[in-house]
Amino acid sequence: MAGADVAQPKKERKGSTKKAKKLHRVSARVDLTPMVDVVMLLITFFMLTTVFTTPQTMEINLPPDETPVEVGESSLLTLRVMADGSIYWNMGIERPQRITFSDLRPLLMERIASNPKLITLVKVQRDGTFNQMVDVMDELGIARITRFSMAPFKDVDLKFIQKGLGG
Amino acid sequence: MAKKTRASVIIDMTPMVDVCMLLLTFFMLTTQFRPPSEAEVTLPVSHAAFKLPESNVMTIWVTKDGSLFLGVDAQQLRVKIFGEENKLRPSVKVPDKQTLADLMVRARIANPKLRTVIRGDKGTPYGVVEDVMNVLQQVKITRFSLVTELETK
Repeated sequence: MAGADVAQPKKERKGSTKKAKKLHRVSARVDLTPMVDVVMLLITFFMLTTVFTTPQTMEINLPPDETPVEVGESSLLTLRVMADGSIYWNMGIERPQRITFSDLRPLLMERIASNPKLITLVKVQRDGTFNQMVDVMDELGIARITRFSMAPFKDVDLKFIQKGLGG
Repeated sequence: MAKKTRASVIIDMTPMVDVCMLLLTFFMLTTQFRPPSEAEVTLPVSHAAFKLPESNVMTIWVTKDGSLFLGVDAQQLRVKIFGEENKLRPSVKVPDKQTLADLMVRARIANPKLRTVIRGDKGTPYGVVEDVMNVLQQVKITRFSLVTELETK
């Protein structure tokens, strides 16, 4: 048993006999259970407060300033995200079609499989939320479409969609 | 009967305390308390698997109401950019886009290795984020990341 026998009998004998008789040896064994309790509590606290999860990131590359890139009409997929959450897609200058978010992933996968050179343009309405943008970008990432760019949503786009739906 | 001796119930706790203390010290030293941030954002979720780098990060917070905050992780850099009084603040409110551009240029000059990340709230209007991305393009930061939470399903 570690550390229990601390007192040295030789020294005690050297002291005066009066003292030696009165001196009761106090037990050196301390009950450590409460201490262990406290320490365990602290460990639990620190374990629970330690943040192990670092957030994930999505990397985006912007083209270095306004360098016009020629894109073949047939390989351009435009996704327009409206503020109300509806998504419209079209190839080149075809009529835009509405698509639900859950159908987006199969569509993207099918398109990229049929044309690996596909370039995707994402336009999100300014009133839309950041979450919508991240969601759409995430779908692109899942479909392994690495080449996509963000473009501002203009009035022309809105008219384009309205015209496409009306006509 | 006579042979049966009762085993001592007193257990020596010392080694256990030693181990516990060691663990405690480890956790105390490794814990980094997240400093209270003025910019509260709820991150969107995604399947992106890149981890956020731990150092050399410049963060742009875009809160729900569209206000912008800029922060860097190193304290020396904070002093250089925002002044001594903002040394302990993880993020400082930026009044407008021009100031944001200036501050980012200064930060990048002070530490060229700085990586830019955007922490946007789920409900932030996309227009504000678009503006921030335009500012980034202006100051020639063409590579940046969006911080998201990992989707668990």
